[in-house]
Amino acid sequence: MPTGADDILKGFKLNWMNLRDADSGKILWQSSDDLSIPEQEHEARVPKKILKCRAVSREINFSSKEQMEKFRLQQRVVFKGKCLEQWFFEFGFVIPDSTNTWQSIIEAAPENMMMPANVLNGNVIIETEFYDGDLLVSTSRVRVFYV
Amino acid sequence: MGLLALLRKLKSSPDRELRILLLGLDNAGKTTLLKQMASEDISHITPTQGFNIKSVQSSGFKLNVWDIGGQRKIRPYWRNYFENTDVLIYVIDSADRKRFEETGIELGDLLDEEKLMGVPVLVYANKQDLFNAAPASEIAEGLNLHGIRGRQWQIQACSAASGEGVKDGMEWVVKNIPKGKK
Repeated sequence: MPTGADDILKGFKLNWMNLRDADSGKILWQSSDDLSIPEQEHEARVPKKILKCRAVSREINFSSKEQMEKFRLQQRVVFKGKCLEQWFFEFGFVIPDSTNTWQSIIEAAPENMMMPANVLNGNVIIETEFYDGDLLVSTSRVRVFYV
Repeated sequence: MGLLALLRKLKSSPDRELRILLLGLDNAGKTTLLKQMASEDISHITPTQGFNIKSVQSSGFKLNVWDIGGQRKIRPYWRNYFENTDVLIYVIDSADRKRFEETGIELGDLLDEEKLMGVPVLVYANKQDLFNAAPASEIAEGLNLHGIRGRQWQIQACSAASGEGVKDGMEWVVKNIPKGKK
């Protein structure tokens, strides 16, 4: 690897994350705490009405001091340890000293197939892992509460 | 037209993953355009210091729109994002006449890129809401778009701020997605 793994890890920072109603574009939740603190599980208190949205988006913003060549992420939505949804995304090149945003927009399950808020509440985790090639650069875990 | 609606229209396309690349000088309005397509708030947009990507998924089909920063120091990195592009959208600030030459040179360089050969190009003549904006026809002539060979192209007047014209451009994109890409 051209740049040391240490430098890549040190220079990488998760800045913020949000959830939107993808139809209206309105933000329903935005992280307030510093997402970059590793190993810490973050909490999202999201209005219940997000479960009624026809489509939702998840947006994540990150910075990298170092150039990366094979940057990718893997995002999973996990309910009680079971994976409900999975995204793989290949960024490829990351510009040195850059700040970048990735947003995924997905249609919701039909309302009759949606689990109710009280079942989901606190049991859903959005887990995002960032890699450069095989090097795990960062992990973000956000536990979702429907309020 | 929202991005999901766009994706639904694209389902007839044989590919399961489509890549749209959004380029142009800094302050052309690329990020505003991207956010306008998703009905998002456009009042707090700052210069893009890297990329913004929107990935839309609908019943197994994926659309990825890549907006790469246009500042001079970032432009040399554009080439890292050319591969597998299905449509190029090039955004111009129609009111910034002082930079028409600069934007013309950048567009010319893109059209000469081997990795973008044959890729349809949509030019958005953005910021038509500004009083001193040049009309699309004048920009097309100034940039000699009529001299483009070997690819589909279109110029579309728009205002990313108000949304006017954005949908018409995207309709063109939908119609011009190359078929039978490897």
